[in-house]
Amino acid sequence: MQLLQAERDALLKPLATVTGIVERRHTLPILSNVLIRKAGDALSFTGTDLEIQIESRQSEGFSGDDFAITVSAKKFSDILRAIPDKTVVSLEEADGRLTLKAGKSRFQLQTLPAGDFPTLAVDTNLKATLRMPQGQLKALLGRVQYAMAHQDIRYYLNGLFVVTEGSHLKLVATDGHRLGFASTELSASFDKNEVILPRKTILELYKLLGDVDDEVAIDIAGNQVKFSFGTIVIHSKVVDGKFPDYNRVIPQNNDKLLTIDRTTLLSSLQRAAILSNEKFRGVRLVLTEGLLKILCNNNEQEEAQEEVEVAYQGAPLDIGFNIQYLLDVLTNLSAETLHFSFGDVNSSVLVTIPDNEHFKYIVMPMRI
Amino acid sequence: MSVERKIIHIDCDCFYAAVEMRDRPALRDVPLAVGGAAERRGVIATCNYPARRFGVRSAMSTRTALQRCPRLVLVPPDFQRYREASQAIHAIFLDYTDRIEPLSLDEAYLDVTGLSHCRGSASLMAQEIRSRIAAEVGITASAGIAPNKLLAKIASDWRKPDGQFVITPGEIDAFMCELPVARLWGVGKATAARLADMGAQTCAELQRWPLERLVQRFGKMGASLYRQCRGIDAREVVRERMRKSLSVEQTYAQDLADLEACLAALPVLVDDFAARFARSGAVGEHAEPLVRAKPVVKIKFDDFTQTTVEAAGAPTLSTFAALLRQGWARGARPVRLLGVGVRLDEAGPTQPELWD
Repeated sequence: MQLLQAERDALLKPLATVTGIVERRHTLPILSNVLIRKAGDALSFTGTDLEIQIESRQSEGFSGDDFAITVSAKKFSDILRAIPDKTVVSLEEADGRLTLKAGKSRFQLQTLPAGDFPTLAVDTNLKATLRMPQGQLKALLGRVQYAMAHQDIRYYLNGLFVVTEGSHLKLVATDGHRLGFASTELSASFDKNEVILPRKTILELYKLLGDVDDEVAIDIAGNQVKFSFGTIVIHSKVVDGKFPDYNRVIPQNNDKLLTIDRTTLLSSLQRAAILSNEKFRGVRLVLTEGLLKILCNNNEQEEAQEEVEVAYQGAPLDIGFNIQYLLDVLTNLSAETLHFSFGDVNSSVLVTIPDNEHFKYIVMPMRI
Repeated sequence: MSVERKIIHIDCDCFYAAVEMRDRPALRDVPLAVGGAAERRGVIATCNYPARRFGVRSAMSTRTALQRCPRLVLVPPDFQRYREASQAIHAIFLDYTDRIEPLSLDEAYLDVTGLSHCRGSASLMAQEIRSRIAAEVGITASAGIAPNKLLAKIASDWRKPDGQFVITPGEIDAFMCELPVARLWGVGKATAARLADMGAQTCAELQRWPLERLVQRFGKMGASLYRQCRGIDAREVVRERMRKSLSVEQTYAQDLADLEACLAALPVLVDDFAARFARSGAVGEHAEPLVRAKPVVKIKFDDFTQTTVEAAGAPTLSTFAALLRQGWARGARPVRLLGVGVRLDEAGPTQPELWD
């Protein structure tokens, strides 16, 4: 029976939206599949890894009977990608196989019953619904997400800490060595809510959010968070764990203040990084009045030195860092000028944007 | 082309058993093994030659060893005495050279290139070292003398026990021809079987395979095989060998039934490890690690499958417990052996934590 007829792009776009999270190899075969479902005139694609579920729905008057089917996400999207755009694609189902026809091409794919496709049981214990422009959330995520841990044994660091408090939304990411904090004002006020969202959710969300003013709605429930924007709905479980107290590591008494042009520092560090030790990635910053020296050396005793004239009047300081931690913050911000407040060689540095309370980045120095 | 090197590989004969027989001469002529008790699922560490005649081998389970030789006398290992003997042997080596690479308590490479002892003859030096070990330490050792480590090690096995064997540069080709590939470094059962499938059971047969084909099949190991089967080995004798890992493990007399039982067994193991780690020189005066130490947990399940899990972080009980949970979930069945330890890496800059 014919299920559907549509132009290639009308299928490929929503499909690509949901396949980012689908694991290719999984112990549960159906998890490598995508659920394609038509109900009324709405057509939806759903992918899941049991932690995150992404659904992309269109309601542009698809005709025909309702159906639901699951098919390999990878193969289905590989085929669609290989077909010239604007080609009309038709899907037919017979005896548990899906036939895709496009021009003179014809593909038969295995399917698994849609009834077996695991969908997240929606947590109805709704605590707060936040609304903001997509572009604003995307920018906010961009300022901190790179600081999340990756495969850390402290699993609660492999994600983003999201806090609502009064009219503030606060995002915190840390891998234990550096920490990013970004906040924004909301148009409404909320009770205090704290959740940790998995790293994968954040990376996918960041990718899918548009740099537009259209709204994204964030529903925070007990153990789930739902993001709805445009044609997309993301359900994500939250990480069960206690996020460390970030306020405790924000330095309060750093007195050595360096104001520096972001792109100048970024270019200098990028050049110096060429000769930084590949394994340890160390860089030395040597501050004296009016001058910042940047020094890197590697295992082969090769050395890079950069000098930047700066407005610095604090005490001399010779301090080491993982250069990647500095490059990360410099590449992910757009501010022209940044403040670096240093303490002594063993205490963390605080990076802020002048006249902006909404961003903080803290890095522990490295003993080189 | 550099000077032809002269390497001696010294290997004590059934070392632990030899020390036991030296201290208790009554054990000299009976089948003797050093190892753990059968009821605690122990294995044989070393056995003497009378025991070997019954088919007892090192690394064999004590249970099997006793089946093969019911009269086997089993003594528990006493590492203190073995270490003392090892140090005495090391002191003898130092009278000749400081270019010594110890492989274990009873085995070492000596680079004696260009030394003037014994008129520069490495064979005579090996002879002298062996007789001094016999006289001063009271045990016998075998030696291999050759232009590189690979050949020296193979040669020390050639006239065992209490013998020595020389491979001169001119003899390498003839010697390699007959040598089974299984004697090469890194060739275990699996690789030997793959080589046999390729018709390469001896080094001469392996020499017919071009480098590219071996690399294609074996990767990096292929290049090593290509050189080894020609008797080529450029590895230096390394004086201070950096320890790559440090661990303790325990085979349990009774399987640990579930995760709870494993977690309950963990603290004892971690204490044991912590004590070894503190003594190892890998930690400084104030208990800060001087090297990068990555915690590792090893789990062997009752079906003999085994898994290891490692992570960054400090080797503390809570980290080991987290790793154990992670590793146990892979098998989720009773456990016969647990190990905890660290993988050590070169000391570099240290990155302190925000929350210390």
